Amino acid sequence: MKTTKNRRMLRVIGISMTVALIAAACGSDDDSSSSTDAPAGTDAPAETDAPAETDAPADTEAPTDDTSGSDGGDDSTVRLGILAECEGAFGGFNEDTVAGTTLALINEAGATSNSTTTALDGFTGAEVAGVPIELVGIGCGDDTADRAIQEIRTLVEQDGANVVIGPLSGDEGIAVANYALDHPEVTFINGIAGAQDATLHVQAPNFFRYNGDGAQWNAGVGDILFNEAGWETAAVIADDYGFGWTSAAGFVADFCAAGGDVVSQVFPPLGTTDYSSFVQQLPDPDEVDGYFWVVGGTGTNASLEAFLNAKGDLTGDQHAGNLFFSPTLAESLGTDIAGAYVGGFASLPGDISTPEITAYLDSADAAWESLAGGTSANEPAPPSQALGFGFAYGYYSGTLALVQALDEVGGDLSDNQAALRAALSDITLDAPYGPITLDSNRQAIVDTFVAQLVLEDGEVVQKTVAIVPGVDQTFGGTYSSESDPPERDNTPCEEKSLPWQGNEIPVVDGVPQR
Amino acid sequence: MSTPSARTIAAVVGCSILVLLPLFGSDFFVDFVMTRTLMLGLAASTLIFLSAYGGMVSLAQWLMFGVAGFAVGNVVAKSGRGLQLGMNAWIGVLVAIIVTTALALLLGTLSARSTGIYFLMLTLVYAVIGFYFFGQVITFSGFGGMTGIDPPGFFADEPKRIYYAGLLLSVLAYVGFRAIARTPFGLSLQGVRDDPIRMSSLGFNVQLHRTLAFTLAGFVAGFAGILNIWWNGQIDPTSISISPTLDLLIIAVIGGIAHLEGAWLGAFVFVSANIYLRDIPVLGDLGGFIEERVLAPERFNTVIGIVLLLIMLLSPDGLAGIIVRIRDAVDRRLGRDSPDVHRTPAEIETAGREPEGWSTPEADWIEPHDAGPTS
Amino acid sequence: MTSNATTPNTSRTTLLRLESVVVAFGGLVAVSNIDLDVARGDRLAVLGPNGAGKTTLFNAIAGDITPTEGRVLIKGVDCTSLPSRLRPQLGVARTYQKTRLFAGLTVEDNLYLAQTGKQRRHLSLWRGSRDAELRERARHAAGQVWLTDQLDAEVGDLSHGQQRQLEVGMALVTEPDLIMLDEPASGLSRGERERLIQLLEDLPTETTLLLIEHDMDVALKVADSVVVMADGVKVAAGSPDEIRNDPLVHAIYLGEEGAA
Repeated sequence: MKTTKNRRMLRVIGISMTVALIAAACGSDDDSSSSTDAPAGTDAPAETDAPAETDAPADTEAPTDDTSGSDGGDDSTVRLGILAECEGAFGGFNEDTVAGTTLALINEAGATSNSTTTALDGFTGAEVAGVPIELVGIGCGDDTADRAIQEIRTLVEQDGANVVIGPLSGDEGIAVANYALDHPEVTFINGIAGAQDATLHVQAPNFFRYNGDGAQWNAGVGDILFNEAGWETAAVIADDYGFGWTSAAGFVADFCAAGGDVVSQVFPPLGTTDYSSFVQQLPDPDEVDGYFWVVGGTGTNASLEAFLNAKGDLTGDQHAGNLFFSPTLAESLGTDIAGAYVGGFASLPGDISTPEITAYLDSADAAWESLAGGTSANEPAPPSQALGFGFAYGYYSGTLALVQALDEVGGDLSDNQAALRAALSDITLDAPYGPITLDSNRQAIVDTFVAQLVLEDGEVVQKTVAIVPGVDQTFGGTYSSESDPPERDNTPCEEKSLPWQGNEIPVVDGVPQR
Repeated sequence: MSTPSARTIAAVVGCSILVLLPLFGSDFFVDFVMTRTLMLGLAASTLIFLSAYGGMVSLAQWLMFGVAGFAVGNVVAKSGRGLQLGMNAWIGVLVAIIVTTALALLLGTLSARSTGIYFLMLTLVYAVIGFYFFGQVITFSGFGGMTGIDPPGFFADEPKRIYYAGLLLSVLAYVGFRAIARTPFGLSLQGVRDDPIRMSSLGFNVQLHRTLAFTLAGFVAGFAGILNIWWNGQIDPTSISISPTLDLLIIAVIGGIAHLEGAWLGAFVFVSANIYLRDIPVLGDLGGFIEERVLAPERFNTVIGIVLLLIMLLSPDGLAGIIVRIRDAVDRRLGRDSPDVHRTPAEIETAGREPEGWSTPEADWIEPHDAGPTS
Repeated sequence: MTSNATTPNTSRTTLLRLESVVVAFGGLVAVSNIDLDVARGDRLAVLGPNGAGKTTLFNAIAGDITPTEGRVLIKGVDCTSLPSRLRPQLGVARTYQKTRLFAGLTVEDNLYLAQTGKQRRHLSLWRGSRDAELRERARHAAGQVWLTDQLDAEVGDLSHGQQRQLEVGMALVTEPDLIMLDEPASGLSRGERERLIQLLEDLPTETTLLLIEHDMDVALKVADSVVVMADGVKVAAGSPDEIRNDPLVHAIYLGEEGAA
């Protein structure tokens, strides 16, 4: 019996894949001593066949048809990889982000979409300064850093991408920026990920970000609340993870710089359903001038309702929030929420209209008949709906920067894309929602906005109040490469002057009063 | 001993192929597909070791893998989150192995009395606690995780060296686990798997055996975790969430949870399915409704799921079981003495029990002769 | 009331002694006030119909059940509440009525493991110097139970009869002072029973045997003294001949058999 067992084992090994084969072969000495194996001749064929069989797929699959020149030395083509998001919390925005990149190439590089109803089928004919831009792959992220790295490695090391646009969310952005450090031959342009570290701390010379980080998006809210709404003290309640901390930090830095004082900060874990114990930790309405909310997803409503139950009073003039605040809150909280200020995001709200914005949105509607993006719950909708939202716009502006820089250097990709990267760094991007420049860490200095929920004909709608120009990542030195990344409450509350203080551009009925 | 040549040929051919793979495989195949296969295989082998030899299906092996990574991150990183001790990467290895092994000893002790589904659930709870621990205790990480973790200089920018390290550790683990199975400890462990009550009455400390096996598995999984963070450069709580925890179980099951080599088989299939399956052209060329609604590229995960499901349905014993059956069929075709049908663990489990009603039935509800210290 | 084995024995050292052992499950008394005194080398069979409390008594001696009242002494050591795991140290080995073997291991490995339980080094990752000796003894024991040809067979592949043989071998191989067999003949064919009887008769004379048996033929052939239980109470004791001719035993036993 033992004989058969050993021989059986031997032949399992013989036919199995190479890893098992080697491990078994190298290691099966343990029980072989008592074995009287089958004659060598009968087993040998199986064993010698095995490697041929099992490695064949490896050899044929590893180099795909796209990788003809994946050594990184080919500088006649931009082989573009898009790191999108097709699973996880933002999986519904796969279409939006790819459409953002595609629209920039359609508008500025002569590309044509392969389909009139989706961007995921790719595009053809993109070319800038004689250099063709070809899509080598769309990575499928799932909102985790591990997956982002796997996908970006597939795009770069398997598909041979030499320029990558993406990713979407914060932790992925940090992972990709770190990956960029190890891959100087590839240029990485952020999609819409908003983690501060990706540029401020990692500082990869080949990682560029043309959108603000989570803190920048809240610039101006604190200033306006202190100076116009009269808040002197505030309490903060924020999701207990990277984006929550960063977004809250932006408010704290801004509000304190203006002269306000943050008296309490509470961080409920992600996925909390009963917020009552956290709301209890907040000061009562008569002890503080107002509350700033950074609670996302279903937590936004749940936490505000818990506040209403615990404190008995919820009015718009005493509450403000980051981009998670929206007019839909009125459905459950009533119209009292009107008056609340809301922080900004990558693109501007739909009530603002400038010729550039109109042209941008029209171009989207011209490029496709419809898109089933995340903003329309993946039902077909006018493309301008998806492209008007920050996710698509982040990918759009990043790609726009690539095209503009490539044009400036006449398509020169030589010397590890040195000229292209210099142009990307020095660019002044005339993007539809406002000009964008980069700081020395290749991080965008952007215009963001402050909005307000207002009552209009008995309905709560969001109106833009001001555009906050020239917001940079450092908040007047509060953040630097020396400072720790934002955590629960490690942002110091200091009064200081910020470039945009008092320089907010008022918006009246959707028209900026520049 | 009459045919050492058969084994020698297998050893030489097998070793040569994997050792020489970097010479003819593409960089991506070696540095990504195979390196990841070896790391996941190493981690899965600890799960299979516990299951095949100890009868314990543990969902905590991925946690061990992750804890080693977090330990390295905390010790090595100079900035960012966690402790930021900024120490030498090799000290990180030492600390990671000590921490992981100690944790495995602790968790093994806590769960040594549990078996079957209770053990599975208990280890699942460990995994969930681990996820929230590293998510919420920002002293050690926080949800943002640890990034920019560099391997020691010897491995820095040398992906082939990480590949070889994975190969070496995999071979060591395979050889080691199989060798241990023949030692007094390993035989005792298999005795515990087959009949803990008998083991106890023979004088064995059943719980100690379970604990030590769990500790050993954690120790080995720790090495896989270290390799992973060197290769991946970052780790965050979602790296050890339920989803990858279950992935490891899937790898073990499709590989064949009763066969140690199934760990690497399963890992190879899992990794390559995730990478290559979405590129299969037929999925893109069907057109019409099927392509748009059923097999669109973004649904490749469904396709992967179906492939894995097929493997499990075709062979409850995984790929290794399929290979055994193919070999048996070939044997029969060639007219060799056909070995007994390969037995799954479930069959082994039931085979030793006598059929009900065989012995003289005795109304012995009052006499619980199965009563033992572990029941 | 103490029942002494009736066979004359030169060395009358007591190996196993039960003092007023009571085992109750809740309000149900399974074993009621049993005294027993078994000398070294005795061959004692405990007989009784189903539900008589034999196995409960057996488990109380083996340590799987702690008696509700009374004491169990083995070699003079009070092990009333000593867990079964520690009893092999006292030279006690037992079998199970329903086979408890290591189905995934070979016959030799089973017999090897049976011996290693007593030793600390079963935690060892190395095969020690005594390993060869243990293996040799395992093979010898396999021969004793006619399993030499099956040494390398996985136990799960054995026939039921072979598993019963191995079950006895598992106890023999430890060379115990007290060997406790729980219905070793159950499920065996006539031929297998004959072999079992021969095997037990060939045990070394200094080995003490405690046999729980439903089957009177086997018990009366092997034992030199017999205790009969019914409803948890000892109803008769004596030599096999005395028991065979005891009308009370016949009434109990045959009545039960007839009813079954």
